[in-house]
Amino acid sequence: MSPPRLAVLVVLLLVSLIAVACRGADGPATSESPAAAPTPDATASPAVEPSLGLPPTQLTVGLGYIPSVQFAQFYLADQAGYYREAGLEVTFQNRIDPDLITLVGQGAIDVGIADGTSMIPAVSQGIPVRYVATVYGQFPSIVFGKTSTGVLAPADLAGKRLGIPGRYGSSWIMLQALLASAGLTPEDLEIVEYPDFGQGAAVTQGAVDVATGFANNEPVQLALTGEDVTILRVDDITPLPGPGLISGVATLDVKREAIEAFVAATLRAMEAIAADPELGLEAAIAAVPELASARETQAAILDATIETWSGPLQAAQGLGKLDPDGWTASIAYLTELGLVPDPVTVDDILVQDLLPAGN
Amino acid sequence: MSRSTLLSVALALVGFIALWTLVVAVSGFPPFILPPPWQVADRFVRAIMDGTIAPHLWTTLSEVLLGFAAGAGSALVVGYALARSALVERLLSPYLVALQATPILALAPLIALWFGPGLLGKVIICALIVFFPMAIATMVGIRSVDARLLELGRSLRATRRQVLLTLEVPAALPSIFGGMRVGVTLAVVGAIVGEWAGAERGLGVLVNLARGSLFDIPLMFATLLTIALVGIALYLIVVVIERRLVGAR
Repeated sequence: MSPPRLAVLVVLLLVSLIAVACRGADGPATSESPAAAPTPDATASPAVEPSLGLPPTQLTVGLGYIPSVQFAQFYLADQAGYYREAGLEVTFQNRIDPDLITLVGQGAIDVGIADGTSMIPAVSQGIPVRYVATVYGQFPSIVFGKTSTGVLAPADLAGKRLGIPGRYGSSWIMLQALLASAGLTPEDLEIVEYPDFGQGAAVTQGAVDVATGFANNEPVQLALTGEDVTILRVDDITPLPGPGLISGVATLDVKREAIEAFVAATLRAMEAIAADPELGLEAAIAAVPELASARETQAAILDATIETWSGPLQAAQGLGKLDPDGWTASIAYLTELGLVPDPVTVDDILVQDLLPAGN
Repeated sequence: MSRSTLLSVALALVGFIALWTLVVAVSGFPPFILPPPWQVADRFVRAIMDGTIAPHLWTTLSEVLLGFAAGAGSALVVGYALARSALVERLLSPYLVALQATPILALAPLIALWFGPGLLGKVIICALIVFFPMAIATMVGIRSVDARLLELGRSLRATRRQVLLTLEVPAALPSIFGGMRVGVTLAVVGAIVGEWAGAERGLGVLVNLARGSLFDIPLMFATLLTIALVGIALYLIVVVIERRLVGAR
């Protein structure tokens, strides 16, 4: 065999070996996705009681881009031993936001957080992920502004300047739903894009009249400056499912009981914090000491976060409750917007039997 | 381009696609991790036909061309000064090396903050990334001029302008074009990095949209293919101009 041919053969062989190794390193694939395999597990069995002397089930949890007081329930459940009592050893990961759903679907992350506007397109595109518990009962993406600008209802947005990071994602979908409720379209107002996420500062400085933001972030900070703030929410118009706990299909196959235990422990922490927000604040500061330098702001953000955990359904039936009707309406709405290339149903997205009894 | 060259390029392309198909088949990666080449090709054609790519492509192309022009233009001047003045070299070299050693990924968010998320910030990022290789190539090229020719020019009382245009520039052109080949592909990288730091439109924005918002991984690959084609096209344009001015190397 001539040297060039031999070289080509060696390269092909190496690539094949690497590909096989990549597949093999993740353990056996058990779901619809050959590459979808959960993170290595000490026991490869459901969560176990530590009293039995067996090692805890390891779970990797992706929490979003920056450690924050908004994740207080996870910090508290970890520090107060709720996860340990449930036979879990939980590792938190940040800095993986844009790829979180894909990583959860792949099995590299066991549990993540995502909202309906991401989950519906993701499942439609064939990513094997499921939504197992609601964290935010109210959709946290909102439109806000100084009350003095006169925007008190969606109809008042006509002719106003609105700041938004871009014409994509949950805030863009929310805005279109909000405008449609008043018979408006994005063309009826002046939209100013802030790709650097500076729209909150733009409202403060008066560069725009209103902006999109998160109920537990920008409006809270604006209110702390002494300004009267108006918030327009989409929940009453088109119920968009807020961020909740998600897991991969393969992970659910292998670690179903562990995920169930994780959901229960997290909801327990949410209830504890809702009853005593100081618990959550202390847990967040213990996890992220830098937060102590702005304690008052963090407390206000946490209060707003707690408020957003409960929509009408969660207030009536308990935190974490899933809202299949809301999901159905969202699927229909996102389909109208052209964001659902292949049809999906609620059953393709929700796993409804992982919540503790009573939720 | 000769028939044998075209055949080699076609064979290399077929080999690449075959390798990609093999990796997909052997690894069993689902399309949301590694889509097969035909799925990417199909998405690429659809994205071109339905106008998804065009506005992003024009934005990135303008950033690249303006950034390359600004970076290469200033690098030619500074490179010449570096070659001909020991003082300039002593004064500027540490800053040039420091600039080159600082990752553009770290600078991009700062530039977006200072100059905003519009065209100017991207042009500056492209210009910065193009500047160093172009300046060094120019300096090396100018210094490569045969000292005896310069001596001859002086003995014939050639003006500074005549020396520059008839001796230095022709001698330095091969090196300058070498820098341009590197610089023009780096300019594409600079534009994408700049768009990731904050932009309304551009191929870098489309990569992020496809990845994190639409979960359309074939579209992400189609966008990456577009970025690669832009780089290849610009590189080939530089090569063609170089051959016209310098000849084949």
